[in-house]
Amino acid sequence: MIVEISHFFSILSAGLFFLAFIFSTRTYQGNHNLELLVNRIFSYGFYFIFISFLLYVWLAIQSDFSIRYIAEHSNKDLPTFYKISSIWSAHEGSMFLWILFLAGWSQLFNYLLSKNDLLKAPAIGVLAFIIFGFLIFLLFTSNPFETILPIAPINGADINPVLQDPALVIHPPFLYLGYVGFVIAFAYNTAFLIKGDMQINWEDVIRPWSLAAWVLLTIGISLGSWWAYYELGWGGYWFWDPVENVALMPWLAGTALIHSLYVSSKSKVLRGWTILLSISVFSLSLFGAFIVRSGIIDSVHAFANDPQRGLYLLAFSAVLITTSLIFYVYRLPQLISKNLVVAKSKESFLSINNILFAAAIFAVMLGVMYPLIFDYLYDKRISVGPPYYNTIFAPLTFLAAIFLVFSVGSLWQRTSKLLNFKSFLSMSILFAAAASICISYIYQDFQWWFVGALFSGLLILIRYFLLIVDSMIKKSYFNKPSAIAHIGFGVLILATALNASLSYEKIINIKPGEIYKDSDYEFYLIDFDLINEPNYDSVRAKFSVKNIYTPNKTFFMFPEKRKYFIRGQITSESAIKITPYKDIYMTLGDQLDNGYWVVNIQYNYLIRWIWIAAAIMGIGGFAALMERLKRK
Amino acid sequence: MNKIRKKRLVSVMTLIATSFLGVYLILSALNSNLDYFYTPSEIINAEIPNNKRVKLGGMVQMQSVIRDGTNISFNITDFSNSINVSYNGVVPDLFKEGSGIVAYGMIVDNRLIAENIFAKHDENYMPPNIEIPSE
Repeated sequence: MIVEISHFFSILSAGLFFLAFIFSTRTYQGNHNLELLVNRIFSYGFYFIFISFLLYVWLAIQSDFSIRYIAEHSNKDLPTFYKISSIWSAHEGSMFLWILFLAGWSQLFNYLLSKNDLLKAPAIGVLAFIIFGFLIFLLFTSNPFETILPIAPINGADINPVLQDPALVIHPPFLYLGYVGFVIAFAYNTAFLIKGDMQINWEDVIRPWSLAAWVLLTIGISLGSWWAYYELGWGGYWFWDPVENVALMPWLAGTALIHSLYVSSKSKVLRGWTILLSISVFSLSLFGAFIVRSGIIDSVHAFANDPQRGLYLLAFSAVLITTSLIFYVYRLPQLISKNLVVAKSKESFLSINNILFAAAIFAVMLGVMYPLIFDYLYDKRISVGPPYYNTIFAPLTFLAAIFLVFSVGSLWQRTSKLLNFKSFLSMSILFAAAASICISYIYQDFQWWFVGALFSGLLILIRYFLLIVDSMIKKSYFNKPSAIAHIGFGVLILATALNASLSYEKIINIKPGEIYKDSDYEFYLIDFDLINEPNYDSVRAKFSVKNIYTPNKTFFMFPEKRKYFIRGQITSESAIKITPYKDIYMTLGDQLDNGYWVVNIQYNYLIRWIWIAAAIMGIGGFAALMERLKRK
Repeated sequence: MNKIRKKRLVSVMTLIATSFLGVYLILSALNSNLDYFYTPSEIINAEIPNNKRVKLGGMVQMQSVIRDGTNISFNITDFSNSINVSYNGVVPDLFKEGSGIVAYGMIVDNRLIAENIFAKHDENYMPPNIEIPSE
């Protein structure tokens, strides 16, 4: 019964969003009552989808296995926490969540935006159309409300054990909040292009929304990376998998957007480019949804494939993007500013970095699409390996870091004299060069990417250090959120480079009672425990580990292998010893006939700092958002 | 040609040249990092240079797994041909005889020295282009 109500409310919500869209197309004469009506209908559309989702959560908690989706992805014995998260563990439910967030952002926008805003009605119309389109997609191709009649199964099929994890409970929600958050920029700018009133300052309206979405996307991607590191047992943080790449593209475009928005709102140049970016970010989010949900590309993360879904998503995205681009091309002549970007001004450096970001997006897109193109042209399967992305991202990142440092302390709309001998920039370059040569020498690693990353990472950190010290002495203003976020970027470059250069692994054979001696550590395998849990059995190794330089400080590590009952799936649980400088990461392999076990020991240097860096960047973005909101 | 026009021409030409160079660099990076996917029969029928990394997909042949210390050796089969694979490391949890996997590494004398073994996070995964013969 409840499932029918939930289903009905979703249909009702789709109807209301459609109405809101239709009415919004009639509001162009400035009929205020009609605009209010549109806002009201839109709000109700959101309320109904919200209640529908709450009911669905309730059904999942109650383990109502008469609903096919819940029966296939949940289980009676799961903790409530995972019963709820099982909703977004597969296609239908996660699409439902995606749409809920889409409607949620839009409703927040509807609620917060002044009713006197000239673009409110058309922007709400665009949003209503997008939500309607996705609700139709949900209801017709991916219905989570489908029931199994007449007899419901007694127990559900469980969610994949690797997904039963706290990080994975919150990773998809953050990721989706980030992806769909950029819909506000897309809708408002499309409304702007439709209206064509060049006096409207859309930059100021969409900036906080884009910042918020960017922060959430940053958190979402980092959580996914962190989860993959400790759960999948490979010990890496980024694999250049197609599904990761399609999350990276909106992030890159979003990063370019928040910078370009800054330029446009400060000095009214690059407006056309900024609008194109705001269209691109959401388009890339849609592209991501298409790739992940159509099964067109082989990936460990992809959902089951269904050509019908892919086709609908492709067609609907094409309608949205083409419409927006047609208006864009039509308005472009008016958008081009009479003020040009002055050479060596702050705008010029930000523009260069925008081009670098565009190149990075192009390269990732090519890497994702090339296997498809190749398969189509030559009927041969290929994949694009991580070395491709590394080769491209390393130089782009170094260049971006250098222009970033140039932009610090440069002036808006004026040529800046930066390379004086005594300037902070020259000092930073000298210090960074000296320090990176020293560090390369210490680690005896002179590969171009390592030295380049050290130089560019240190350059950012030193330049900001000088900026902060200088501002504190002179008690002058500096852009704190920007400093925080960019320091995070600098730390990210250094951490990834040192991680890539220093990390190594050992594969060993060991049996209980034996000791394995490594250069710095001694691993003593004490014994194995057999553990019976409600939903799995496990074999757990007990290692006593000590650092040979501090032999009285021993610690234990427990890598384990689990066998889950319902799916019969075997998973490895890595044991991780965290230290500030490195992680010791231990994975249990197979047992051999002679009683020995294969064990993989990885030393992952500075890997924590990669996520810490991402968190610092997120904090910087959040601080920028707060500053904007305070100023209003 | 006046001065401004000349300047503009130079900057446009620079822009075009830089973007061509950029695209060229990206494409050449792409071209040198493609991993070709083969089935065992394709490896046997095709000439594959010895130092080229490839992906080999198929099923782990029954009774072919031999472990020796940290090394593991097994055959990947597509039910008409099989290729021997050797690997030093921990195989994925879903690796077992009869499961579909992909091995990544170099072909040396019709054997694959694997650097990585992938098994999809799905028990029913089968690498592309391979059909299980009906019994």
